[in-house]
Amino acid sequence: MNWKLCVAMSLVSVTFLVAEGPKGTEPRPAATAYPAHAEINGVAVGAALLTADQARRHFVSDVNRCCLVVEVAFYPPKDKPLSVSLNDFVLRIKDADVAAKPSSAEVIAASLQKKAHADRNVTVSPSYGVTYQSGRAYDPVTGTTQGSGVTQTSGVLVGIGRPGPNPASTDKDRSAMEAELSEKGLPEGAATTPIAGYIYFPISSKKKTVARQLEYKLGESTIALSLP
Amino acid sequence: MRIAGFFLGFLFLASLVSGYRVVAQDTQQPTASVAPVTDVVTNPTRAAPQELSSANAKSRNYDSGSDGDHKLHLRLGTIALGAGYSHFSGPAYYPYGLYPLSPFGWEYSALWFPYWGSYPFFAPGYFDYGSAKGEVRLWAEPKTAGVYLDHAYAGTANHLRNIWLEPGAYDLSLAATGREDFHQRIYVLSGKSLKITAKLIAAEPKPGEAPGQEKEKP
Repeated sequence: MNWKLCVAMSLVSVTFLVAEGPKGTEPRPAATAYPAHAEINGVAVGAALLTADQARRHFVSDVNRCCLVVEVAFYPPKDKPLSVSLNDFVLRIKDADVAAKPSSAEVIAASLQKKAHADRNVTVSPSYGVTYQSGRAYDPVTGTTQGSGVTQTSGVLVGIGRPGPNPASTDKDRSAMEAELSEKGLPEGAATTPIAGYIYFPISSKKKTVARQLEYKLGESTIALSLP
Repeated sequence: MRIAGFFLGFLFLASLVSGYRVVAQDTQQPTASVAPVTDVVTNPTRAAPQELSSANAKSRNYDSGSDGDHKLHLRLGTIALGAGYSHFSGPAYYPYGLYPLSPFGWEYSALWFPYWGSYPFFAPGYFDYGSAKGEVRLWAEPKTAGVYLDHAYAGTANHLRNIWLEPGAYDLSLAATGREDFHQRIYVLSGKSLKITAKLIAAEPKPGEAPGQEKEKP
């Protein structure tokens, strides 16, 4: 009876793992549809570096604040499953001699939450008031008695900080960002059909002219893709 | 008359203070409208996820800071205008206590909730504004399409143009008679606004199915 229970629990666990795992994105028809592509040992790889504007459109999370996002697609041969692992990726910035491995969705989400928490906000609110006073009142400054009239007052209120939490800075936000980044991320594991997804490199280089190269270790060989 | 003058001065100060309170409340509201708007979806069923979304990226220009570790947001708050005149006529008396059947009190909600009639699956006020919520601006065609959030009926699209949700990932679906269903995974972050455009295209009649026949809803 126990082994049946174990099998049932294992099946349920596997089902949840499969259901909760990253789904990635829809791969393009072929690797050649990506700006950078190569083929080695029958495995075609395509990659595209997302610009800051594209990252804003594709993600609710503010990924531009922490990292570079690369969309990667794999097209494995029909009879040979391909094992995909994020540890096999490296992004190099040639001129700066900088290399980075991809970060997990958890790490990126935590970083984004921390940075959102550190934001400062300044709110400027102009104000204008008109008061009408009837009757007579003694003015202690001038020592005179003033009659009825209209008083106008204007000013500016400057608020620093926020009355509430900063956007995307709560723990629930972190969970939501983590869900988004992991669900859109490149699925890891054995792939028998074309797969695609995003990988996140913790490099915040804003220079567009920098030459970037994505490397992927496939067995004994290494695929190098120059990202435009 | 001197009393009247003092009282008017007090009123003016009070108007300033109350104006500031309005500012303090509204400072949260603009963050939603100026925060990065993300996804706009036009053809939900056939487009790839990366094609499903386009953005209102211009709204990011409100951020005056850099993309470094810290950002400085400069915003224009509520402009407060005040004017007043009053006549002091003696002490006022406001009796304290519960007002029966108040539309804003718990008594009123308890009378018609839970789920009397065809009321949606979510509790009243579930989609109301909250400082720790994110906004989803929904535009749908047709406007009478049923909206489902995590497979639970939320109402019709014309009543759910602006909904506020707790941060998280949701499955948004829209369904209408004679149209193909719309499905999208949405991610809501507090203080951010998400624009969803759901245009439900006409469903092609299946072989053997009479035109205009109702289809099952999710």
